[in-house]
Amino acid sequence: MDQEALKRLERLNKLRLTEEETAAMLDYFQMQRRELESLHAVNTEQVERMVHVMPMTNIIREDKASQPFTREELQEGAPESYDGYWQVPRLVD
Amino acid sequence: MKYETVIGLEVHVELATESKIFCSCSAKFGAEQNEHVCPACCGMPGMLPVVNKRVVDLGMTAGMMLNCDINRVTTFDKKSYYYPDLPASYQTTQWFAPICVNGTVDIRTSAGEKKIRIKQIHMEEDAGKLVHDDWTDTSLVDFNRTSVPLIEIVSQPDLSSAEEVLAYLERLRDLLRFAKVSDCRWEQGSMRCDVNLSVRPEGSDVLGVRTEMKNMNSLSAIERAIEYETARHIDAIERGIGELVQETRRWDDIKGKSYSMRNKETAGDYRYFPDPNIMPVVIDDDWYDRIRASLPDFPEVKKARYMEELGLSEYDADQLIQSRAFCDVFEAAYAECGMAKEAANWLISDCASVLNKNQQTFDMLNINGKALGQLIRLVAEEKVSRGNAKRILAEMFKKDIDPEEFAKANGLILSNDTGAIEAVVKNVIVSDPKSVADYKGGKEKALMALFGKCMKELKGNCNPQVLRELLIKAINEE
Amino acid sequence: MTTMKVYISEAQATENKVALDDMILTTKLPTTAGSRMLDDYRSLFDAEVVTRLETAGYEIAGKVNVGEFAIDLLGETSYYGPCEKDGLLTGAAAELLERDEVKAVVSLDVNGAPRRTAALAGLICIKPTYGTVSRYGTIPAACSGETICVTAGNAETCREILSVIVGHDCKDGTSLPEDACERLKTEAERTPVKKIAVAKAMEAAADEAVREKIEQLKTRAAKCGIEVIEIEAEELLLAKPAWNILMSAEVCNNVSRYDGIKFGYRTPHYEDIDELYTNSRTEAFGFLLKSTVLFGSDVLSTDNYWKAYDKSLRIRRVLSEYLNRIFGEVDAIVLPACGKEAYSGEMVKENPYIAYDESLFTAPSSITGYPALVTEGVQLMGNMFSENSLLDLALMFEKEGK
Repeated sequence: MDQEALKRLERLNKLRLTEEETAAMLDYFQMQRRELESLHAVNTEQVERMVHVMPMTNIIREDKASQPFTREELQEGAPESYDGYWQVPRLVD
Repeated sequence: MKYETVIGLEVHVELATESKIFCSCSAKFGAEQNEHVCPACCGMPGMLPVVNKRVVDLGMTAGMMLNCDINRVTTFDKKSYYYPDLPASYQTTQWFAPICVNGTVDIRTSAGEKKIRIKQIHMEEDAGKLVHDDWTDTSLVDFNRTSVPLIEIVSQPDLSSAEEVLAYLERLRDLLRFAKVSDCRWEQGSMRCDVNLSVRPEGSDVLGVRTEMKNMNSLSAIERAIEYETARHIDAIERGIGELVQETRRWDDIKGKSYSMRNKETAGDYRYFPDPNIMPVVIDDDWYDRIRASLPDFPEVKKARYMEELGLSEYDADQLIQSRAFCDVFEAAYAECGMAKEAANWLISDCASVLNKNQQTFDMLNINGKALGQLIRLVAEEKVSRGNAKRILAEMFKKDIDPEEFAKANGLILSNDTGAIEAVVKNVIVSDPKSVADYKGGKEKALMALFGKCMKELKGNCNPQVLRELLIKAINEE
Repeated sequence: MTTMKVYISEAQATENKVALDDMILTTKLPTTAGSRMLDDYRSLFDAEVVTRLETAGYEIAGKVNVGEFAIDLLGETSYYGPCEKDGLLTGAAAELLERDEVKAVVSLDVNGAPRRTAALAGLICIKPTYGTVSRYGTIPAACSGETICVTAGNAETCREILSVIVGHDCKDGTSLPEDACERLKTEAERTPVKKIAVAKAMEAAADEAVREKIEQLKTRAAKCGIEVIEIEAEELLLAKPAWNILMSAEVCNNVSRYDGIKFGYRTPHYEDIDELYTNSRTEAFGFLLKSTVLFGSDVLSTDNYWKAYDKSLRIRRVLSEYLNRIFGEVDAIVLPACGKEAYSGEMVKENPYIAYDESLFTAPSSITGYPALVTEGVQLMGNMFSENSLLDLALMFEKEGK
């Protein structure tokens, strides 16, 4: 991880670090790289990945529709809305 | 030099469900902006996704219609990117274990038959919609479409011309509509397509530089875009300048040109990972068999049966297989009345005209096929006139009625009571001696006038054959 | 200076009052996740735990401050400032319980802060088995491991509140079936803790004062007729880096929804959509959250997914299988809840990643979903669904102490 790669990550995540933060962040990445080595000391080739700690399956619902909230309620906290839409700066596509 | 075009398609199809894929908002098209929205599908924190079972049913159905293998354990993953139409800034999709893999679709073009391989089908949520508003010079966001369930059908790069692409898309549309997976309406965006295209010298086994055109939403645009891109690629190859880059391009159908979207950082990393909130979906034999048993015959199988077993003309059979709803009603009506030709006529002319009048598509036909069969029988048994039967049919479009009960309750049963008819005939003859004389004098038309008067008196509720006989008999006895 | 954002209603009786941490959504009070991004954010719906508590006759008396998205040490990264007393970080839940204003505090344990808070203040905290308490209506941070927990002054109160909030919820796709949740109810049958094992690798990583607490606990356990053994438990050291990778990735993904468009903070400084996104997030998020997002994004990148993220998912199974094996032999594992006796704001300034270091002790339970209890300033991990046995043990220690 270097400054340039970090800048790319910042852009990808819509964030900006100060110079001071960048330095701390780069140290952190270095530390994590070392920590990752400790994980790679364990052979997990025969180990299945574990996404969920509880082995459940088929948590599904029936196809029924309901509309418990109004548009007005949902847009009450909107920074900007207009005519029932959320509003953002114009996008060019 | 001769070139060949290599095309792969990613087709997005919105599924015909009542509710969205992970929340209970309505998935129906056409609501006012942001009316079908809840905290979950406008990105607010705290609600958790629970998979809509019907989405899995329809995903499996699609896979089976396209000869896919069904992954018995299928999982959901998150894909991250920022765009205002994606409220959570991630899309829940299937990356590691999609529901279907390895299918095939048979297409027919002027060059003959061809098998197009399907790489995979995965389930995912749709994004919202942006409206660009000139008045405020802003973009406006509508989340109604957010989380509407989709399947994405990814083909292998087996297509080599616009004609094949159109044949493939038409075939997909027919099969998916037939299986009621989706209404597949390009104009409403429930069917959309990304076109991946490259060009190489004929016979080469190395693929050329690939470009992708996203969100194509009409067959004519797809056709033009493929022709334009093919020409653009060939031109670039022949001029030998490295101006072809792997990229996403936008098709402008009005200008008839494609444009690079390089300015967007689309090469971003989507950072897929398994969704910790959604447990794996395991499709056991029961579930699998239930879906398999629910599959319809392919349209051409139905067509052959209609012609060979039921004796329909090719024209009639073709008309019926336009729509699964027509086939279903037809089959139920035929089972009830046993008269295939009549049943087909009722659908192709009468039902179609009611739908047209209501500005509905054929897929929206929603009448009780068994009742239609009863109605056809009532006409055949001369209990109801053809004209009144149409009135009854109109009622059947409004609600599920028993045609005979309805006819009785509304005085639409044809009278075979000769006594009552004779009384009317007698009155008419007495009241119009001129017509009687004219008829006797050889004017056939005069009989029609008398017949009409009788029919009017009887309010149409009489068997015309019986009336005619009684009328002639009475005149002759005069 | 102490700043603590708590909202407390007027009534004085504490009998039926419970406070929530600010990761739990309520319609009556704002929910901020300790972030400027959600300053004064109002939820349109109540969390399932809120509904359950209110239905059972409890009053939601207020909200206690959390560190930004609950991933820090002791709430010090909150937009509303840390809770400090005599220069030491305390945690808002501890202050509120100390003032005896509420009976218990219900929190979302994402990265161990509630357990550390309880350990430092000498409170009881029970973090139940993953999936027994619905997360519907909690602000998502690291969904694969975060668990609602209860902190109170004594074990009986923890049991009482836990008994109310456990149960199946069809609105949470990770919620366990009712029969599994039943095992956590007050009246459920349980086997007493007879044998406990001190995890030496964990103990060795803590300060002398903390090790001393473990010694005291061993003595008490022996007095109560419990067999105490020692195990190396070096495997547990893997939990910290693995959980940090999983948690950071999930946090990165979960906080990507905060973009200044739909709700929450929007920067006043923007010309186009990208500035709106970037400035809103940069201005509203603190440094620990920013670095967690960036690290989390990196471990999910095409280059790193298999060697970092997928590896950590496999380590999770290694750990789960290890714990499963251990709990075949012993009833509980003893380990520190945090490495030090106390933390100051200075220490955090010097090392902004101190929460990462300290997650060494809390990550084993977070990443595997096994329940954990904090009592006497020490942590005990138990087998799945052994909450009542752990609480019985805490109760025994309480009586023994008197």
